[in-house]
Amino acid sequence: MLDAISTLSLLALLLGLGLGYAAIRYRVKGNPLIDQIDAILPQTQCGQCDFPGCRPYAEAIASGEVEINQCPPGGQEGVDALAELLGVETLPLNQVHGETQPKRVAVVDEKVCIGCTLCIQACPVDAFVGSSKVMTTVIAEECTGCDLCLPVCPVDCIDMVEIKPTFRTYVPDISELAHA
Amino acid sequence: MLKFKYNGGLKLENPYPVDEIDLIRIPLPDKVVLPMQQRIGNRAIPIVSVGERVLTGQIVATIDDQRCAPVHASISGTVVAIDEHVYAHKSGLKGLCVTIESDGKDEWVDTSIGCTEHYEACTPNTIYNKIRVSGIVGMGGAGFPTHTKVRLAEGCHTLLVNATECEPGITCDAALMQAYPTKVIRGIEVLLHICKAERAIIAIEDDKQDAIAALNKFCNNENITIEVMPTKYTSGAEKLLLKSLLGIEVPTGKFASDVGVLCQNVATVVAMFDAVVENRPLISRAVTVAGSAVKESKNFQVRLGASYDYLLSFVDIVEGSHKISMNGLMMGIELDSTNYSVSKNTNCVFIDQLEESKPIKECIRCGLCNTVCPVDLLPQQLYWYSKSENIDKAIEYNLLDCIECNCCSYVCPSYIPLVDYYQYSKSLYKQQVKEKQQTESARERYEFRELRLERNKRERAEMMEAKKIALKEKMARDKALKATVEAALKRVEAAKSAHGSQDDG
Amino acid sequence: MTVKLLNTSQIMRQVSYALALGVAAQVYFFGSSVLIQIFLACITGLITEALFLRLRGSEIKPAIADGSVVLTAILLAISIPSIAPWWIIVLGVSFAVIFGKQIFGGLGNNPFNPAMLGYAFLLISYPMQMTLWPADYISMGQAADVIFGLSNIDGLTGATSLDHVKTQLTMGIPIQELELNSISQLWINIGFLIGGIYLLLRRIILWQIPVSLLSGVVVMSTALYLVDSNQFASSLFHLVNGATMLAAFFIATDPVTASTTPSGRIIYGFLIGILIVIIRVFGGYPDAVAFAVLLLNITVPLIDFYTQPKVFGK
Repeated sequence: MLDAISTLSLLALLLGLGLGYAAIRYRVKGNPLIDQIDAILPQTQCGQCDFPGCRPYAEAIASGEVEINQCPPGGQEGVDALAELLGVETLPLNQVHGETQPKRVAVVDEKVCIGCTLCIQACPVDAFVGSSKVMTTVIAEECTGCDLCLPVCPVDCIDMVEIKPTFRTYVPDISELAHA
Repeated sequence: MLKFKYNGGLKLENPYPVDEIDLIRIPLPDKVVLPMQQRIGNRAIPIVSVGERVLTGQIVATIDDQRCAPVHASISGTVVAIDEHVYAHKSGLKGLCVTIESDGKDEWVDTSIGCTEHYEACTPNTIYNKIRVSGIVGMGGAGFPTHTKVRLAEGCHTLLVNATECEPGITCDAALMQAYPTKVIRGIEVLLHICKAERAIIAIEDDKQDAIAALNKFCNNENITIEVMPTKYTSGAEKLLLKSLLGIEVPTGKFASDVGVLCQNVATVVAMFDAVVENRPLISRAVTVAGSAVKESKNFQVRLGASYDYLLSFVDIVEGSHKISMNGLMMGIELDSTNYSVSKNTNCVFIDQLEESKPIKECIRCGLCNTVCPVDLLPQQLYWYSKSENIDKAIEYNLLDCIECNCCSYVCPSYIPLVDYYQYSKSLYKQQVKEKQQTESARERYEFRELRLERNKRERAEMMEAKKIALKEKMARDKALKATVEAALKRVEAAKSAHGSQDDG
Repeated sequence: MTVKLLNTSQIMRQVSYALALGVAAQVYFFGSSVLIQIFLACITGLITEALFLRLRGSEIKPAIADGSVVLTAILLAISIPSIAPWWIIVLGVSFAVIFGKQIFGGLGNNPFNPAMLGYAFLLISYPMQMTLWPADYISMGQAADVIFGLSNIDGLTGATSLDHVKTQLTMGIPIQELELNSISQLWINIGFLIGGIYLLLRRIILWQIPVSLLSGVVVMSTALYLVDSNQFASSLFHLVNGATMLAAFFIATDPVTASTTPSGRIIYGFLIGILIVIIRVFGGYPDAVAFAVLLLNITVPLIDFYTQPKVFGK
């Protein structure tokens, strides 16, 4: 019995020392969790989660202050992906923060635009091109559809237009192929 | 006998055999519908307007992208509509089309302009441009602009003419070769001249004996050889053809032009002859009409844009429920009606008796699909990964190399529509890549904006600080100056009063 | 390559038909008790599968119609001693269908061969009932009595040839002195061999697994025989005794649980063959097919991963 006790104690000591060394030697700098969460978030920068951008929301999730289901543009898939990353139960998307909508881009009605530049200042990803007293337009590829430009436009000349599938971007629906 | 071979492929019988293959010329259609969206590039912009009269061979839509070809009117008449129609595409999406109503005269544009009949004296660039301006694209089914392909293959050593027509049931290329063997040979000579290849090989399957005989009869050029290949499905796929004829395996992601071979479908070659030597743009093509509900399968030379209904009026169709498909049983698509029109890469229309759809069962991992894949993929694994949307793993198993030939789903004992799954995961992959790029870009722009706002704030604060200090210094200088002035004034006062008291005494 | 196309249900049925000859040999030598087992097995299998399909919310009719559960049931029924009590086969088939198939999601999703899983479960849980084999021909009436517990099994049982050899060897009697020939085993195996060749000719199974499995058996048993012919039986013995032919053509060839690449199948079959001999000779059980197959089932994803064919153009 003495053999058993001493063997196990020795093992425990050695393994403990090994783990301690590894914890110090291979410590990861910074907090990669925030980056991992940020990589899952859709980068719409819309603020619907009640945070001023995706990175602040990622930081808040990492610190455990908020729930993971506050991002409508990420949809239910986003919530599920976050749940899997953090190893927690998934939650249904919190409807208080908004509904998931199909991807949209902003379009400026050029005849109405007065060149006030308020939209340029409001856009979180600088997707507007324009200047004071000069007509403004949207860079469609960069627009994330966050809606932040809509309330600031004094002449209400911005519309959110849904992106329709084209021949190149069409994704077929395979749920019909699936069998019981 | 082939020196080389590739794994996989299927030996399929022609489901609609005919005793004699013939190319039938039919009268002009009443109306043509020409689609604006072609294989690559954005859609062409119509340069005619509704109500305008156009001539046969007139360009009705152009495209800025120099890689792409314009669209021509295939009959003379009046443009009656420029509107959206459903395209014969798996997505069922709509696209812009130009509809022309025939005036019955088939009046051509002046074909003497821009002639390149003596092509030996023209520069390659002139001929490339001629091919482009004549609207020629690959007519074997892919529809890639021919002038771009030929230009990319400049300096190739072999010209491979794909006359295999391996898709079972389609005989339009055979009909074309039997009807115009001289055009085929002379078209090859034109191509040989442009691409400066040393030799040309016509690859043809052994079930087309009449076409082989016709070509042999009219071929006097010693640089052109006719290679007869055993009939096997997927032998006509460009990369597989290169492997079995020349033993060259084109590396993934590369093309035939990268290994010095230019491959063209035989119908494209004929169209090129028509364009370069006879100055006629691409306005018609040979189409096979066949099917289990069609009494006799036939090949028609039909103007582009003619509707399927018009084509079908020339065959006898058995009554009943029909399955309508275009471009073949293996690589074609099923359509919901005959309300579509012939486009540059429509090679057949099949009308079959509607059969009870086979019940789809579970995959039993029998591995039959693995044995028939001509590109040596593992369709079974691709299926399991596509089904669970594990796109990364599917890409790892070379999903992007799949040529969508449908050999795998043909042999599947559970009748699983495998290629549908692969098309799904390929488009999902494209979508994911695009989304990733966009989110990356959005993240970078957001971070830069934050940085810029911070920097603006900081610069503004520094500027205010600097102004404050400058102001303080100025005030101090002013004060000092004031003090000096005051002191001076005081001295003057003092001097004055001292002087004044002296006067008094 | 021309392929005569059969669909999944047809494949399952053809495999069931191909078993007929081997089963006929079993009936000839040992009576129709095996038919009673097959009957019980099929009923149990169909009921259990229907029940679990309902629980899973799947459609019952198409899944039952594909014939896979009947095949599993028949395979298990002919693998166990034909005079085992009725509850043995019922338990075995239920276990096979539930834990070998349904909990994974039904046909096509299971990693382990269901029949072999059921067999292993029975062997470990009820070693006594699973080792009492009939010694001679037993009439239908007598068999029914024994199976349904109405009469005693004593006097009807005897050791199989594999059992016999094993116990004698442990007693130190060299092979040469043993009576090795078992006519019944020989003909039963020949029956399954013929059925297997039929499946090969109809391209329902591919040559890789049967050929490699039998090669594995031959290689391993010959190697041992060359080391000490007193201690180890020859390869012919291993080929015609026990469930070797059944394994080669019907059990290891189950497409769902076998390796899927051609070269992978060769490795899979070969290793099963080798393991069968090793477990028979050095292991605690007289016949080893079930364990060999189950062990190799675990390695299938690994084998598949390392035997991917070279892709065109890479």
